[in-house]
Amino acid sequence: MSELGKVAVQSKLGRALRLSLLGLAIAILWCSHEHRSHGPRLVGYELEPPENAGECTESVAAQQLPNWSGKVPLRQAFQVQRAVEKARPPADDQKLPVDLSQRSPERMIRDPYAAYSAVAVDVSHNEVVLTDENRFNVLTYDRKTNTRSTSVSDPKRIIGGLNTKIEFQCGLYIDPANGDVYAVNNDTIDTLVIFSRQAIGDVKPDRELHTPHGTFGIAVDEQTKELFLSVQHDNALVVYNKMASGSEAPIRVVQGSHTGLADPHGLALDEKKKLLFVTNHGSTHDVAPRPEGPKREHKRGGNGFPLSRDDAVPGSGRFVLPSITVYSEDAKGDAVPLRTIQGPKTQFNWPTGLALDVGRNELYVANDGGSSILVFDASANGDIAPIRTIRGPKSLVSNPTGVFFDHTNQELWVANFGNHTSTVYNPQSSGDAEPLRVIRSAKASDPVPGMGNPHPIAYDTKRQQLLVPN
Amino acid sequence: MHGIVYDPIRDEFTVPQQFAQAILTYRGEADGETPPVRIIQGPHTQLDAPEHIEVDVVHNEIFVPTRDAGVLVFPRGAQGDIAPIRVLKGPDTMLSGDNVLAVDPVHDLLLVGGQAGRGETRLLIFNRTDSGNTKPKAVIGGPKSHLNAFGGPLTVYPPKREIIVSVRGTGPFAELSSDEAYVGVWTIDDNGDVPPKWTIGGPKGILRMPRGIALDVAHANMIVSDKRLNAVLTFHFPELF
Repeated sequence: MSELGKVAVQSKLGRALRLSLLGLAIAILWCSHEHRSHGPRLVGYELEPPENAGECTESVAAQQLPNWSGKVPLRQAFQVQRAVEKARPPADDQKLPVDLSQRSPERMIRDPYAAYSAVAVDVSHNEVVLTDENRFNVLTYDRKTNTRSTSVSDPKRIIGGLNTKIEFQCGLYIDPANGDVYAVNNDTIDTLVIFSRQAIGDVKPDRELHTPHGTFGIAVDEQTKELFLSVQHDNALVVYNKMASGSEAPIRVVQGSHTGLADPHGLALDEKKKLLFVTNHGSTHDVAPRPEGPKREHKRGGNGFPLSRDDAVPGSGRFVLPSITVYSEDAKGDAVPLRTIQGPKTQFNWPTGLALDVGRNELYVANDGGSSILVFDASANGDIAPIRTIRGPKSLVSNPTGVFFDHTNQELWVANFGNHTSTVYNPQSSGDAEPLRVIRSAKASDPVPGMGNPHPIAYDTKRQQLLVPN
Repeated sequence: MHGIVYDPIRDEFTVPQQFAQAILTYRGEADGETPPVRIIQGPHTQLDAPEHIEVDVVHNEIFVPTRDAGVLVFPRGAQGDIAPIRVLKGPDTMLSGDNVLAVDPVHDLLLVGGQAGRGETRLLIFNRTDSGNTKPKAVIGGPKSHLNAFGGPLTVYPPKREIIVSVRGTGPFAELSSDEAYVGVWTIDDNGDVPPKWTIGGPKGILRMPRGIALDVAHANMIVSDKRLNAVLTFHFPELF
C-alpha cells in the first residue's frame, strides 16, 4: 500500500468520507411521530409529492409571525428594509422582494428511524438503553426484546426533545445503583446530560455538566466515584467527580504529545487493576498555550479544561495508526501510556466503542470502519491480532459504534449505526455469528441514508450527486 | 469537517481535516477507503485547525481560515509541507477566529464571514488577492441585516452577484435549534447594515439549523443541509439563478 493509501486508511477523514452519495431522485421524508401511550415512535417514511415553487401568498399565520426586530414582524421588516435600502441597483428597487421564507423544499433526504450509536444495560431493571444520533433520543427497551426483520421494536421509554439537550449522544453510562442515564454529546452542545431512570419525553436533565467541546466516550469508577470522558477535538481525557454538575472543573486532565491520544473515542475501565483503556482513530496535533488571540474559546469553558483547538500548534498535525492506549487510572498530564495496541495486525479501522470483560480479561472493540467486533486479550501490547472477530452478513454487525459487556447475563451488546439495529451475542461468538437477539428501529428492508450531523455539502455536477460529509 | 468543495473542471473534491491539520484532495469518483491524490500538511503550512475551505477553481487557489484570525492561501495543486503563497491577517482585516469563506472568481472577491464578538456577526468583502493587514472593501452586518451567527460555509453565485448564507437563529434553544433560522441572500454590492434580498426556509420556515449550501444550477435548485433535522433539503429556487 502506498504511503498515501496508508494515510487514507488511518485517517479520521475516512469516517467523514463515508460520504452519502445521495441520488437526487431519492425523496425520503420524515413521518411525524406517532404518539402512543408510552411516548412517540417512528413509524415510516413517505414520498413528498413535488411541489411547484410558486410564490407564497401571505397567510394569516404568516402575518402573525412574532417580532424579531421589536416592532414589526421579521419578514415584513426584511421587506420594508429592503425596499428603502438606497444602495440597491435600480432594477432591484422597482419592486418589493418576493417572500420565499415559507417555501417548502421539493425533496428532503432524512432517515425517519433511530440510528443507534451507544448501548448500555441496566441489569437491575432488566433493560437496555440506546442512544440515537439520527432522531436525537435515548430509548429504553426490555432487555429480552427480540424483533424479526420485518418488524420494529417497541421501546418502553423515550427521552428526547429540545429540553433534554439530547442530540448527537455518542457515549452512554447507566448507574448500576439507581439506573441514572449519563449521555455524552459529541459535537453540538458541550453538555453531559444525566437523567433519572424514570425520565420520559421532553424533560430537562436532572443534572448537567458543562464539558470541553467534542467529548465522546464515558466510563465511571464506582469505587472512587470518578467519571472519565474522552475529548476527541483536544486529544485529551478529563476526569470529574462522578456527581459533578454545572461548570465544575475536572479534577485532572490527560493531554500532551507523549500520551499517544489521537482522536480518542471509546473508554473502558478495569476497576480492579485501575486501568483505563482508550480507542484512538489516529489523527492528532500538538497543543501549546498561545498568546491571546481574538478568540479564546477554551476560556469560555472554565478553568481546568484541556488546551483547545485555539491552542493548536500550527503545522504539527499528523496521521498515526489507530490504537488502543492503556493508562493507569490516576494518570494525569502528559502521561505516557502503559501499553499501546497498534499496528496492521490489529485490524483497527476507526476503533470506537470499547468494553471490558474482566472475568475473561478480554477487550471488545466496536470497529466502526471495519464493520466488525474485535476481541483482544486485555493484556495485549503492540501489533497483536485479535483473538476473535465477529463480522459478516449473518452477524448484522454494521458500522458498530457502541459496545457493552453485560457481566451479569454474560452477553455482548452492539449498537450498529449502519443498519438500525442493536444486536446481542454470546461473548464467545466469532466469525459470522448470528445474534442471540435483535432490537430494530426499522425493518431490515428500510434504506439507511447513514447521515449523521451533516455540515457542508457539495454538488458533483458530473455525476449529479451530493457529497455530504458526516 | 466543516468544508467540502467539488472542482468540476478537474473532477476532484477537497476537504479540510482539522484534527491532523491537513487539506486533502480526492478524485471525484472516490469511494470507500480511497487515498487522497494530494495532501497539504506540515510545519510550513501554518494550518492550525482547518475546519472550512474554499477552492477557487478558476485561479487555482485554496483558501483556508485559521483559528487565529487569518486566511491562508495555497496553490490548488500544492502537495506536502508547503508554505501559503498569501496570508491575510491583521487587525485591519477585521477577521475573527471562527471564519467561513467563499471566493467569487468572476468579480475577484474573497468573502469572509465571522463573529467579532457576541452579536457582532459580519460578512467581510475583500479583493480576492488581498494579503497582509488589509481592510475589507465592504462589511455587511448590523441589526437591520438580521445576520446572526453563520450556520456553515458561504456560497456564491457570480452571474447574479449573489452571496448565499445559512444563518442560525436565536432563542432559548439556539445552540440546538431555532425557528428563526434561514438561508439569506445578499449581493456583492451590499455594504453596511443591509437586510437580505431573500430569505428561504425561514424565519418560521422548515429550517432549524441550516449549515451547508450547494447549488444545482442546471435544475435551479438550492440544496441545504440542516443539523437539527439531520437532513438534506432541496429547494427549487429559480429566482436565485
